[in-house]
Amino acid sequence: MNSSGLVQLAQLGGSIFAVLLVWQLTVRLGLGGDVRIKDERHARELAADALCGFDAVDLVVDRAGIGALLRDAAGRVMLVRRHGAQFAARLLDSHAFTRLDHNFLTIATGETRYGGVTLDLGDKAQIWASSLRHLSS
Amino acid sequence: MPEFNPVDYAVPGFILLILIEMLWARKRAPEKYEPRDTLTSLALGTGSTVAGALSGGLILALLVGAHQYRLFDIGWGWWAWGLCFVLDDLAYYWFHRMAHRVRWFWASHVNHHSSQHYNLSTALRQTWTGFIAASFIFRLPLALAGFPVAMILTCGAFNLIYQFWFHTEAINRMPRWFEAVMNTPSHHRVHHATNPVYLDRNYAGVFIVWDRLFGTFQPELGSERIRYGIVKQLGSFSLLWSVFHEWIGIVQDVRAAPWRHKFSYMWREPGWSHDGSRDTSDTIRTRWAAQQAASSPE
Repeated sequence: MNSSGLVQLAQLGGSIFAVLLVWQLTVRLGLGGDVRIKDERHARELAADALCGFDAVDLVVDRAGIGALLRDAAGRVMLVRRHGAQFAARLLDSHAFTRLDHNFLTIATGETRYGGVTLDLGDKAQIWASSLRHLSS
Repeated sequence: MPEFNPVDYAVPGFILLILIEMLWARKRAPEKYEPRDTLTSLALGTGSTVAGALSGGLILALLVGAHQYRLFDIGWGWWAWGLCFVLDDLAYYWFHRMAHRVRWFWASHVNHHSSQHYNLSTALRQTWTGFIAASFIFRLPLALAGFPVAMILTCGAFNLIYQFWFHTEAINRMPRWFEAVMNTPSHHRVHHATNPVYLDRNYAGVFIVWDRLFGTFQPELGSERIRYGIVKQLGSFSLLWSVFHEWIGIVQDVRAAPWRHKFSYMWREPGWSHDGSRDTSDTIRTRWAAQQAASSPE
């Protein structure tokens, strides 16, 4: 390897070191915070933000505010879940996997990268679990 | 490649400004930064320098090749530098516009937009696949016109450096005269927003006048809370997924599409589908406008 190649390698090493240093600082400074869905209104806003025109007629928010399920008049169901310091949403279809465990409903979208979430929906968990089984593809 | 690359000298400044913005965020709004998002952004930036080093020689050869067929011998005069910088920025405007309107180019550019945050680390989310997308073709006219290749690349580097500072929410508005001519944090926040009114607007690199001239300018509205990212948020911090998800989507769509629609999944706008089952920025904007019209009083 010539000297120019070595300089480039050193630059790359320095960059990776700087990246890890800055990342550690974001952790140590406590950046990111702890965002939650505050209430039903907040959940509606997040759903409308994710899909223009999505107007929820029925919804349930996780007790800790880490996610929500919303249904619009057309019967479409949207899952909104926390993603870092933001939220990410998906419309659910028949490929969604659900598992009910008392008040806890686990939902996986079928998208590996988006993943799934377990929501504490209290006594509404069973009702939503049952309705999710009838989603169309 | 030219020996002098201004970006190399700017990187320490980038890091310093990111650190200052992080301290600002800690005091004012900790949610403006997210550690995993920042890590992905910075890793994308580092990876893009490797991708640039790998493909740089080929791009240089193409530009030098084009320069052999130049129309004029423009030379190195001071006016040539100024003209080259302005025309390179015009080329950037059209590259950037195509990067949002043609899925093939979007697949390369999307990782710059896939963060739901808007801070200085977002500026470093640069592409790894620009060479595959052939985005360098937008610079070829400058070489064909006769600008020296090293001048084109240097102007492009300074253009990139300028674009760093306005990826921030820490600055509200610049003086009016500056907002009128130059790209600013306010203008570029609009560009990164997913609000329907803001989609596919403000493509400028350095001079916002291109957007005003070509009808794509949208000022930031005080009434709209900006949401950043892409229409279908990734919901993942995976580095490789950020880089390749749209390319993978193209492959899947082209495979599944009927023959006569296969190319459209590469060349039509992002979100286009042959059965109209998906949203493009135009359909979202139309739906939003209808919604606004229906909800506003007579």
